[in-house]
Amino acid sequence: MSEERKNISAAVAAASCSLLGTASPTVGAEDLERWSFDTALLYYAEDDDRVQDVSATIAAQRDFGDDRLLAMTLSVDTLTGASASGAIALDRPQTFTSPSGNKVYLTPAGEVPLDDTFLDTRYAFNVSWSQPLGRLYTFTAGAGFSTEYDYTHLGANLGLSRDFNKRNTTLSLGLAYSQDDIDPVGGAPIPLSEMRDVGDLGNKLGTDSKDIVDVLFGITQVLNRTTVLRVNYSYSNASGYLNDPYKILSVVDPTTGETLARVPTGEGPTGVYLYESRPDSRVKHSLYTEVKHAFGAPVLHAAYRYMTDDWEIESHTLEARLRWPIATSSLIEPQLRFSTQSEAEFYRASLLAGEPLPRFASADFRLGSFDATTIGLKFGQRTASGNEWSTRVEYYRQSGEIPSGQVIAHEQYPDLSALIVQFGYRFRM
Amino acid sequence: MVARATSMRTGVRKGAGPRAPALMWSSDHWVGQFFSMASLCEVLIEDVEERIAREMLVAIAECAWQIEARYSRYRSGNLVHRINTANGAPVELDEEAANLIDFAARLTQLSGGAFDITCGILRKAWTFDGSDRVPTRSQVDELLPFIGWDKVRWQRPILQLRPGMQIDFGGIGKEYAVDRAAALADALAPNVSCLVNFGGDIAVRHPRRDGKPWCIGIEACDAEAEHVGTIRLRSGAVATSGDSKRFLLKDGKRYSHVLDARTGWPVENAPRSVTVLADTCTQAGTFATLALLAGADARSFLEAQRLEFWLQG
Amino acid sequence: MKPNALLLVVALVCSGCANVEPWERDVLARPEMSLDADPVDAALDDHIYFSKEASSGGRGFGGGGCGCN
Repeated sequence: MSEERKNISAAVAAASCSLLGTASPTVGAEDLERWSFDTALLYYAEDDDRVQDVSATIAAQRDFGDDRLLAMTLSVDTLTGASASGAIALDRPQTFTSPSGNKVYLTPAGEVPLDDTFLDTRYAFNVSWSQPLGRLYTFTAGAGFSTEYDYTHLGANLGLSRDFNKRNTTLSLGLAYSQDDIDPVGGAPIPLSEMRDVGDLGNKLGTDSKDIVDVLFGITQVLNRTTVLRVNYSYSNASGYLNDPYKILSVVDPTTGETLARVPTGEGPTGVYLYESRPDSRVKHSLYTEVKHAFGAPVLHAAYRYMTDDWEIESHTLEARLRWPIATSSLIEPQLRFSTQSEAEFYRASLLAGEPLPRFASADFRLGSFDATTIGLKFGQRTASGNEWSTRVEYYRQSGEIPSGQVIAHEQYPDLSALIVQFGYRFRM
Repeated sequence: MVARATSMRTGVRKGAGPRAPALMWSSDHWVGQFFSMASLCEVLIEDVEERIAREMLVAIAECAWQIEARYSRYRSGNLVHRINTANGAPVELDEEAANLIDFAARLTQLSGGAFDITCGILRKAWTFDGSDRVPTRSQVDELLPFIGWDKVRWQRPILQLRPGMQIDFGGIGKEYAVDRAAALADALAPNVSCLVNFGGDIAVRHPRRDGKPWCIGIEACDAEAEHVGTIRLRSGAVATSGDSKRFLLKDGKRYSHVLDARTGWPVENAPRSVTVLADTCTQAGTFATLALLAGADARSFLEAQRLEFWLQG
Repeated sequence: MKPNALLLVVALVCSGCANVEPWERDVLARPEMSLDADPVDAALDDHIYFSKEASSGGRGFGGGGCGCN
């Protein structure tokens, strides 16, 4: 009998449609048996000729009735340019061996060394299925795959959620596992080994991998007629090869602060640079809270995330967006984001010659201490057929600090500014 | 339980005669009223030119009166009268009537026979006037041979009842009329938000341009109680099934007017009233009726459909 | 992980709850009120911040790894 009851909505809707002679003109009936697409083209550019990225994304979703949803996303991005390699800038030019070991690249005097990142295209595909289980439970399952020149990712996730209090409260539990394979150009370098001359791949090993387990526990709560809150606690455990194979540290003279000089045999590095070393495990905890509140037609979204991990990184991120409808079919949405993080325990702006090597060390700016601000504006326009165009422009600025004890002479955090422009189009077929 | 638009504040009626539709302005929308299908019918229209509002109101009233005229069992000479006096002869139905019969047949199927448009003759035994005149079992049993969709020959467009059987569109007519009226309003003034409320069965196709919802108050079952709540409807439909106005009360037991066609008796332990929100009034009404027929299982039935609803009693 | 922060949030959640009836969910039913509205924007932002910062996400799963962190 309950089997029969479950399918009744569709039967009643169908009977009603036959009676009324036309398709039901409401949102519910329109969603069924139609694909809805969300596409975006994104352009990301950092200043000082650093990283540039162009990406295209298409997300498709279909409702199969009775709250059963299939969602798929395909994205392609093309990365060019270079990001800070971790070596420090000096008053003289520096030469480095490229990751492949086939050539060198030069950093002019006074400039932050950028690693010779090559043109790389990444393809990513995600799929997920969501359906009710019984009256109050919803089940989700998903899988993802991405591939690029030197990295492949494969992941799966499962989720279960239950509604309480007339669906005012929802508890969710999620589990995700991913397996990533890293095949760095030239091979994964032995951690804390020296960068060698062109043609010498003696300290480079082959491929490696890492796996990540994520657990998420969340509560979504309707606070009142116009406000909804979500709180998520996540636990993440990554283990395996967690190094960035292209990041290095400069070894400096403790008194002068100059990078130790080196004379290459043929072509090679002009200084002593060591490949970074990170622990082979990382446990993260984060608490994410977000709220959406409708002030009449405008809607405010605010979120805060706190993260802490066993690398001693602590971060706070606060963001807010205000969706402001204008005229009958347009909207404007200013956005603001502040983020601050403290450096990893093994973060070193440079290594001191003569001192014993630490077990782990990295000068990767992404593990450093910085404040970042994003300011953005989105403009959207709905067409007569119900499709929506949107444009978004954001400016991201990250400025960091080297811990005072680590500044000898030239150590500098490689501040970063980026412009992001996105065009989007949402439609149904 | 009756849902009535609480946003109407002015009460002055214009126009000639009690049946003529009356149009008045109320703060930020038009309110049209007329009588049909034994109910006060209201049409709420968002801010448009008066002549358009009047045109819509008149068209909706005409639509309601036409449906009433054709499918009411109280009229002589109409289609239903011809079917009910055919005495076993086949009757050919037009498209609209055939659609209604198909729909009724589907409901009979979905309710396992509890809902059946042939159970109208039970009114010979049951008169729901609030009194205590409950029929005897034999009085009801006498009528059972003349009830049951299985006894009907329906081969679209030919309908053939056995002699002595009758059909009654009372359970589905008003919701159908609401949806038809809403479609008509949509055709006359596309994208203008128009709320059609025929005695508590409501449909709105388009949300208001200013984003505000239409407010509908729900009265409590007991006349003395305060109004129970407000529905804020932007688009969609609401239908109510219940016994607040028609029932029998004997020896402290309340007999709802919703009869189970399989037994000829009112459904036991049904909620006093069920209100359902759905995409169309026909769907909402169907769920409300099926919920009442589910008796004590009304709540779990409605929850299984993942609908917005509420019950009283 | 600061247990006090978690407790505070849970307490806030529980104290701030009003019971919203099904017929009062008109505002919450608007698509822009969904916590997962604009999933593509969110995914693109998450990907950018994942490759430039040490922490990411929090909303849920569905992204993929990439060789950038």
